[in-house]
Amino acid sequence: MINTQIAALLCSGSFILIGLYAAIFLDNIIKKIIGLSFIEEGANLFLITLAYRSDGVVPIFLPGMSPDWFVANSAYPLPHALVLTSIVIGASTLAVMLAIAMVLYKKHGSLSAFKILGDNHE
Amino acid sequence: MNELIPLMVIIPIIAALILNALGRKNSIVKTLSFVVAILLPLIPIISNYGFHYFGGHSPLIDNENLLSSLPSLISNVSLSTFHIGINYSFEGLQKILLFFLFIVGFLAIFTAINERKRISGQYMFLIFMGLSSVTAMLLSDDIFHMYIFFEIAIISQVGIILSSNDNQKYETAMKYMILGSIGGPILLTGIGFLLALVGSVNITDITYMIKNGLIDSYSPVFLFSFGLIFFGWIYSVGLPPFHTIKSAVYSKATPSGSALLQALSVVIFISFGLAILRIYSHLPFVHGIIIFFSLAGMILSITMALIETDLRRIIGFLAVGELGYIGLGFGIGTNLSITAALFQGINELIITALLFIGFGAIIQLTKISNITKLGGLIENIPKMSIMVLLGGFAMAGVPPLNGFQSKLMLIQSALNANFPELAIIMILISIVTFMTFIKIFHAAYLKPKPKDLIVEKSLVPRSAIFTVGVLLIICIVLGLMPDLVVKELTTFVGGLI
Repeated sequence: MINTQIAALLCSGSFILIGLYAAIFLDNIIKKIIGLSFIEEGANLFLITLAYRSDGVVPIFLPGMSPDWFVANSAYPLPHALVLTSIVIGASTLAVMLAIAMVLYKKHGSLSAFKILGDNHE
Repeated sequence: MNELIPLMVIIPIIAALILNALGRKNSIVKTLSFVVAILLPLIPIISNYGFHYFGGHSPLIDNENLLSSLPSLISNVSLSTFHIGINYSFEGLQKILLFFLFIVGFLAIFTAINERKRISGQYMFLIFMGLSSVTAMLLSDDIFHMYIFFEIAIISQVGIILSSNDNQKYETAMKYMILGSIGGPILLTGIGFLLALVGSVNITDITYMIKNGLIDSYSPVFLFSFGLIFFGWIYSVGLPPFHTIKSAVYSKATPSGSALLQALSVVIFISFGLAILRIYSHLPFVHGIIIFFSLAGMILSITMALIETDLRRIIGFLAVGELGYIGLGFGIGTNLSITAALFQGINELIITALLFIGFGAIIQLTKISNITKLGGLIENIPKMSIMVLLGGFAMAGVPPLNGFQSKLMLIQSALNANFPELAIIMILISIVTFMTFIKIFHAAYLKPKPKDLIVEKSLVPRSAIFTVGVLLIICIVLGLMPDLVVKELTTFVGGLI
């Protein structure tokens, strides 16, 4: 049976690769944004996977627990805290991108990145 | 007074939130923005050097009572030296760089307030959030904390672009966001690899582990983390292949907005650059990679600036190219070169702000940014043109201005480190920068005025002249007395290396 941590790592790698494909090769801006969201979630899943400990316990020290046993068996709490912050940041950037996409659609009547962003702006 | 250290981040955030709530109450927004902006540079001046541990969580080794009550799994291993919470470090570099950042921030806000009849609280919110986020990045000893504030800085920068009147602002903002949304998570994944190897995201802890051989700092995981974090860094600062989008970003904002955007980019460059140096400088190829990307940035940007005809884009490319000097100093990696790079960063912050606002006056007068359609403006704005000329000299490294001092230090450091070829390239690029600047100065101010050129206003705002004047005075003072900042920077770098 495949190890849960390995499976999650493969999953996060797949998320990032699928997201990169969508962000680079798909023309529709909304699809690009979905791809970017995939990359973000892949990175978050990767961090969460680092915290995983097989047969581990929730990292909350309760009365009656032996400190040595807790240290040896609890999951690592730091990545959880990091991911919580990262999700908030990801949601903010997603919201900004969607808002700009709405304005661009109203302005150009299209969501084609080639038409909207592919001109000689840069 | 170490309590003042977090206030450098907290005060702009609180001001931003209040200004956002005030919305369109024009006079209150202007007054509050001005007051907060003028107070901010005072905080780094009066604050003492030291550390600030959030929540009072200093390393366990500093707290013997607590350490003795913990299991041996923690107390007897290096874990006891680790930083439990986020901590800010305030030293000579932070003091000087934040002082000048806040000065540029104040001048950008002052110019914006005076240029616009009505100013929204939301715009000021973005400016203060940008300032607070890069301040947090510079102070923080925690690479994940830096990443979070880097993302906030990106959103603030996009907001500043969107607040301009340029008709391509949405397209540029979307491109910047798409690239940022790739660069950000890749940076995060790199931090994740470091976390997997070290178990901490505190830079001091990571370097402690490396120095004491507690982790394999040549393992594929460690090397991969370098690749990912380096990618995030070059995106964030506009080194190739991101130099074109970065210069586009500068060209789409208002002049004061561009000045601020470049100031934010310089601080991000230095913050991440120092973090990379601290963690990865023992790897033999790191210095070479930094030098390669910095050189590529300088050469490509100056080439683009030479062929470009849009005034704002030219200044944008020059600004991005100048960042390469900082990268070269980091890449050479000696005490002198890093000190010179930090000094160059401070100068870059001031000079590009001067040029963005100075040349912005031309666009305000004529509504034209194509240099082929400009000319003869020295008759309309003689004072501004002379100040801009001196600012350009400072950028190109003409003595006795500040750019000369930092570039001379960089060239000396390259020669001392047996990199004469780098010294030659730096001199050549300075010459090309000088030529490019003279080209645009001649095109805008000196050549005969085209018949169809309409100058809409007879005077530029006094606030812009004041701002450019103050920045020029700083250029001259730092050029004549570089020791005002170099001594502190040398001490800081000595401790760092």
